[in-house]
Amino acid sequence: MSAAADVRGAAQITAAISGGDLRSAARLITRIEAADEAAAPVLAQLYARGGSTPIVGLTGPPGAGKSTLVDQMLAQYRAAGERVAVLAVDPSSPFSGGAILGDRVRMGRHNTDPGVFIRSMAARGRLGGLALAAADALTVLDAMGWDRILIETVGVGQNEIEILRHADTVIIVQTPAGGDAVQAVKAGILEVGDLFVVNKADTAGADRTVAALREAVEFRTHALGAEAWQPPVLKTEAAGGVGIRELLQAIDAHHQHFRDHPKQFAARRRSQARARLVECMAAALRARRGDDEQHDIFDDTIDDVVARRCDPQTAAKRLVDSMS
Amino acid sequence: MNKPPVPEDVSRAADIKAHLEDVSVKLSRTATWSGIETKNSYGPADVEGMDYARDLGEPGEYPYTRGSFPEMYRSRMWTLRNIVGYGAPEDTREGIENALKLGTAGINIVLDTLSQEAVDPDHPAFSPDAGQEGCSLPTVRDLEVLLSGIDVTRTGVAWHTTMMIYPLVVAMAKKQGRDLSKLLGSHMPDHLQLRLSVGNEITVPTVLGHRTTVDCLEYSSRHTPRWSLGCPQAYNLRERGVPASGEIALGMAIVKLTLRDLAARGVGVDQVAPSMAWVSGSDIDFFEEVAKFRALRRIWARTMKEQFGSQDARSQRLRIACHTSGRALVYPQPLNNLARATVQTLAALLGGVQSLETCTYDEPICIPTEAARELATRTQQILANEVGAARTADPLGGSYYVESLTNQVEADALGLLDRIEAIGLIKAIEDGTIEGLMDDYNYQFKKEMDRGERIVVGVNKFIPKPEPSPKRFSFDPKGMVAHMERFRALKLERDQTLLKDKIGQLYRVARSGENAHPAMIDALIADASIGEVWGTVRVASGLSYDPFRVVESPFAYPEI
Amino acid sequence: MAQEKIRCLLAMLGTDVHSKGIRTLAQLLRDRGVEVVYLGEHNTADGVINALIAEDADVLGLSYSTATYLHYTHDLLDKMRKAGVADVPVMLGGLIHADDEPALREMGVKGIFGPGSGMDQIAAFLQDVTGKSLTGDASSST
Repeated sequence: MSAAADVRGAAQITAAISGGDLRSAARLITRIEAADEAAAPVLAQLYARGGSTPIVGLTGPPGAGKSTLVDQMLAQYRAAGERVAVLAVDPSSPFSGGAILGDRVRMGRHNTDPGVFIRSMAARGRLGGLALAAADALTVLDAMGWDRILIETVGVGQNEIEILRHADTVIIVQTPAGGDAVQAVKAGILEVGDLFVVNKADTAGADRTVAALREAVEFRTHALGAEAWQPPVLKTEAAGGVGIRELLQAIDAHHQHFRDHPKQFAARRRSQARARLVECMAAALRARRGDDEQHDIFDDTIDDVVARRCDPQTAAKRLVDSMS
Repeated sequence: MNKPPVPEDVSRAADIKAHLEDVSVKLSRTATWSGIETKNSYGPADVEGMDYARDLGEPGEYPYTRGSFPEMYRSRMWTLRNIVGYGAPEDTREGIENALKLGTAGINIVLDTLSQEAVDPDHPAFSPDAGQEGCSLPTVRDLEVLLSGIDVTRTGVAWHTTMMIYPLVVAMAKKQGRDLSKLLGSHMPDHLQLRLSVGNEITVPTVLGHRTTVDCLEYSSRHTPRWSLGCPQAYNLRERGVPASGEIALGMAIVKLTLRDLAARGVGVDQVAPSMAWVSGSDIDFFEEVAKFRALRRIWARTMKEQFGSQDARSQRLRIACHTSGRALVYPQPLNNLARATVQTLAALLGGVQSLETCTYDEPICIPTEAARELATRTQQILANEVGAARTADPLGGSYYVESLTNQVEADALGLLDRIEAIGLIKAIEDGTIEGLMDDYNYQFKKEMDRGERIVVGVNKFIPKPEPSPKRFSFDPKGMVAHMERFRALKLERDQTLLKDKIGQLYRVARSGENAHPAMIDALIADASIGEVWGTVRVASGLSYDPFRVVESPFAYPEI
Repeated sequence: MAQEKIRCLLAMLGTDVHSKGIRTLAQLLRDRGVEVVYLGEHNTADGVINALIAEDADVLGLSYSTATYLHYTHDLLDKMRKAGVADVPVMLGGLIHADDEPALREMGVKGIFGPGSGMDQIAAFLQDVTGKSLTGDASSST
């Protein structure tokens, strides 16, 4: 196919997606998940149109009640007439590569609502590639014209932090059950959280967890100065819908903070773009085969640096040159 | 003496060899069906340290390992149950009368899936299910049709369902001016079991469900002391996927939490436990099931006495209501299920249960046909009259193997119970720990079948040639058509002012956290439907009126 | 390098609560490398179709243990045609009576896996209708 035909085909798909064709959008996300290069020209066009939909990311350990929280947030957004898309990311089996994507079970009541679009995505064990695929999927959702986008991931690992960098507001969900707060601090997730939620706040130890989180958050933000956003620590009981209204208000307050501090918002957008560019470059390198056709060029270069066949600076230059 | 086959006969010889292998009877597994590894034989060393008086006791004596009553079936036979339920109340009534003619004891009714989940039969999304797998019973008026001419203070009806049936029966009794202290019958008020076996938080929210169980038991212990409470409903938990020890562990976890919460409301163990019966299954592994019933009675007795301070023997001696496992019955060659159900039934009798329903052989195919129902009844009659299964209490007691297996099932059950209680039962349900256990059990079960480590005749070995499918149960839908019309008409004709008043009161009571049962009963007397009553309780608990968010509440609730 | 996976949506329609079969199937499919989107019990046809579209599933699997499957399946396939997603193959499992198989096939059901069906049959069906290949059973390494 010629480049011109590619662009024409891309334009058609772009128009369909912007025009509300759910199936075209869903199929494009499938191409993104498959790391299919055919998605690139469409994504290029969609990206140009996006950037205005606020994206909220949620993460937390398994069993923290994230899906239930998302379900309740959807209910309240819908009651206010807002149309919402959700990207729910779950791990894949490291043995088979398959996955059970079960987040929709807790959001089942929204299945019949045309104002809600939920897409599940399996991590597929990609090194770094997951964040890229998630970001591209967000580009698609962004172009579809939803009022809000939520992205939910499981865990508090490096992969999740990379995904969350694509969100404008990051919510860290914890439960009172022992040690989660400390874990969050250790995992470095404190730095990426704009809002902290202690869910299942009716169980024992909730106040202690809230206090521990507040202390840790204040310690961090103190160093950032008076102009910095002060991440609130909220309590919810997602199953009964308690605290959801306050959570949505806190999300709005965070958006308002960005409106009041355009420099901070610009910095957030720059850091999002930077993270994404780095991911794209890494992906581009990974797509190139090394001399032996077995490994990608990035892996091969790492080998060379480890074996001291090449120094890091020369290796980086070699990689950059290979991309031209 | 056989000559070696000539070449042209080789393939036929191979056929014969394969054929011989296929039909042979051989040991395919040394672990029990639940997975306990067994030995070639057992002896005194395997029951070392066992103390007869302390660990077994005579039948009818603490800790009741050998049976709950001294004379067992010589003093009182088990109750032969035959569960009926399909279509409109009139259809089920006809089925009950046919079952009684066959020799079933008492009236045993199952409701359709909608009534079981407190959803009205006119629900726009699920209406086709109304009356399909049980009787549709959305209002007191329907109950009056079903039990027309029956005095519920003289004839007890056993209800094989959890939600809403108790308030419905009490409402009808009150409406008829009966003395509630004489109300007879039983149901299965265990909502946590329903939450786990239904498998979702949407239809049966854990916390609200459990609160409703405690409400029901509190109300029953105060107002209807002769009503029996099938709690825990461990049968469904077992069928959902746990080993024999898991049935005990989960059931005990539910019972203990419920008793503790009742104690906090001032209802002591000896006020409620004598009314409780354990709803149990009987699976296919004969010795393991016998061991399970024995271990269960011992654990129950010791828990009631040692942990809850029971002083009343009636609280400590457990009554077991048993249904043979439907899960163990299979679709291919369904007549084989007669053999399975017979062994399960025998295990339950030798294990000393107080009531017993034998699953019909066509259970995996359809609602039981009349013919299959009759065979199930005859199975129990043959065991009772010809086999001698009822003659002597605990006939397997003292067997080294059975005593050792009883100890093993008990130890496994107590171990799992400890693990669940360390997490907290409610949390272990809400965070999916228990569903995970069940899913893992089913998954391993299927893997073992796929690998041939677990043989189910006709399913993964000895597979029969295709055969004509067995006859299916069917009934005339015209009863359901009339039933639905009657339901819609009632909604229009009832006293709307009274209804709104009672629904408003129910909402206020449920919001306050008080026992909602009296207000539920009053609303039902005012011709509210089960969906309306439960929906109102849900709204008062901060949930949606309709679990599936299809129907909006027709009521305006007061501001509180 | 494209990573093609079979995406299979699993759901139950109506008030049927016997989900243990479909839950085990989800695990077994995962072991074969399938990405299972699990919807659980108590779905309506409209809800399943919306999920089918958003998830871009290659196959839709339904499980039944109650007698109303003819009604629910007919209704679902009808609505799938109206929604323009009748091209997604539908498979049924659970207590499907052999007498009903011709009627179900006539409606447009592509795969019927009644009592006694094995995973190999289901895996072969999925590969056949999607044109994508599955890895072998990887559960032995778990």
